[in-house]
Amino acid sequence: MEEIVNNSTALREFLKKMIIDTLKLENVTIEEIDNKAPLFRKGLGLDSIDALELVVAIEKIFNIIIEDEEVGKRAFASINALSKFIQKKYKRGK
Amino acid sequence: MQWVETEEMVRFNEVDEWGMAWYGHYMAWFEVGRISLLRQFDLLPRQMVDLGYIAPVISLKCDFKNPAGSGDRIIIRTTVVKPEIAALTFKFEILLKENRTLLARGETTQVLLTTNRKMIYRLSGELEKRVSNLVDYCLQD
Repeated sequence: MEEIVNNSTALREFLKKMIIDTLKLENVTIEEIDNKAPLFRKGLGLDSIDALELVVAIEKIFNIIIEDEEVGKRAFASINALSKFIQKKYKRGK
Repeated sequence: MQWVETEEMVRFNEVDEWGMAWYGHYMAWFEVGRISLLRQFDLLPRQMVDLGYIAPVISLKCDFKNPAGSGDRIIIRTTVVKPEIAALTFKFEILLKENRTLLARGETTQVLLTTNRKMIYRLSGELEKRVSNLVDYCLQD
């Protein structure tokens, strides 16, 4: 996992796949998810229940806890934001 | 799985023109069932507020199997589903008391927000303790 976290491109791809798999998004491909687009509402159009599911997946995979909406808002702003958030927290957890 | 059972009676003013309990009232009966379950675990809405949380319903499902009529005694059965995420999902069954015919089966999901409307992604402290007591009770054989 550390290898993926340290490689921004690989991590972004990994996160896109994680989102598609966790939320069972049938009509979305990795290529279609824009690194800069918001994940919620506009952009990918996810909702609050989707956030709860992603939080559980992130905790399981990276052992990183997202407590609430306030942190979530920043972390889920976009794929770029999520990738940076994970890199920062993952290193801190080491 | 443990279910909490509560009895109600279908009132005259709760039936429609066809003499059947109006579909919308089932939601109120679900609420009666949920409250009698939550009461046992100190999770009544006002107790949640005292802890600093509210739990709005974000999803509701109901399948109607058989009609109830005015004066019928009904049993509302309520339980909770093991939570995989920070949300509470309740299951309900409404039965006719006299022969336990299934009248309706439903489900609601609630998310958890702080009283200043910030959604929480994981449970902690006293809320977590009470919710896990509720879940443990409902999931036992």
